Amino acid sequence: MGTFHDNKSELHGITVVVDTAGPKVYVGRCDDMDDRQVILLDADEHEDGKDGRSKEQYVQRAAKFGVWKKHERLVIPRAQVTKVQKLGEVYSGAPAAVVSPPKPAESPAPAPKPKAAPDANGAVVALTPNAQEEVRRLIAADGKPGLGLRLGVKGGGCSGFSYRLEFDQKKEGDTVIPSEGFSVFLDRKSLIYLRGITLDYQKGLQGKGFVFHNPNASNTCGCGESFSV
Amino acid sequence: MPYPEELVAPMRKELTNLGIKELRTPADVDAFMKDKSGTSMIVLNSVCGCAAGGARPGVALSLKNESKPARIATVFAGQDVDAVKQMRSYIADIPPSSPCIAIFKDGELAHFVPRHGIEGRSPQDIAAGLVQAFNGICAAAK
Repeated sequence: MGTFHDNKSELHGITVVVDTAGPKVYVGRCDDMDDRQVILLDADEHEDGKDGRSKEQYVQRAAKFGVWKKHERLVIPRAQVTKVQKLGEVYSGAPAAVVSPPKPAESPAPAPKPKAAPDANGAVVALTPNAQEEVRRLIAADGKPGLGLRLGVKGGGCSGFSYRLEFDQKKEGDTVIPSEGFSVFLDRKSLIYLRGITLDYQKGLQGKGFVFHNPNASNTCGCGESFSV
Repeated sequence: MPYPEELVAPMRKELTNLGIKELRTPADVDAFMKDKSGTSMIVLNSVCGCAAGGARPGVALSLKNESKPARIATVFAGQDVDAVKQMRSYIADIPPSSPCIAIFKDGELAHFVPRHGIEGRSPQDIAAGLVQAFNGICAAAK
């Protein structure tokens, strides 16, 4: 019911429960939803079993009074989402009408290739399985399980901007993208430049390391550590 | 950041024209909440078309019911910020959302309709839920 926003999904402005195949469930006001992502505002998240509450118990509690927001804006990759449901339907006790997000676009193979650039409203940042595995390994080695991965840009480098990659805590105003076992944080400025990127981790005879595939970059330097737009 | 008052004024009037008292300051809220006798209701109004657009006519319909709260007030989220903050201090255990509707009996919260209990519903549905609450809370208080 996107009352004043015809360009948004039908759930725009509606408080929804976003369930995932993993242990996490999210509650927040749906800003938009498409085949790539579900964007929630003023969102909370819960992990199955945390504080002695299952996902279902958390949702029932949320349905009674609402949730305390942990994230101003949360981008949940569509691939993780199994169900999107209006919280109001849990609240009312009415039969749970489930609104399924659009099916993801057919892709010939799940190879961790860089994705096409999303449109101007897109905010997806993808990590290939290799990159996710490496980040999880590094976080575990660091011994600070609450840490997430911060992606950012800063001025400098041979092509104008340099990528930033560090482990950090969530900061106010960050866009949070959940991944399996950790979250990715982007500040607002970096999001403008990094929207649509894919972070890969390459290991091979010619060296190994994180590699950014940035569809916004008009020029990338030879070392891959900086870019221009 | 508050919306221009000329945009908000009609939304205020939708409720005040029903005889609902508008609370613009923390002192107004405290004065309203100080009276703990009987039943009262506060409607947290907002500019949100997805939810408040149905809440206001829903409240209007519900007030046609014979049983209803003895005293009714409204505060406007995002506009009268200090008053809203003060109102929320009386229901501090409940996560903030707007619009929302709180019904009190003898100074205690007796019924609460959060934003997600309003959004996407028709005024008739919203009114039906409120009437059910009125009949349970306000009729018994008579």
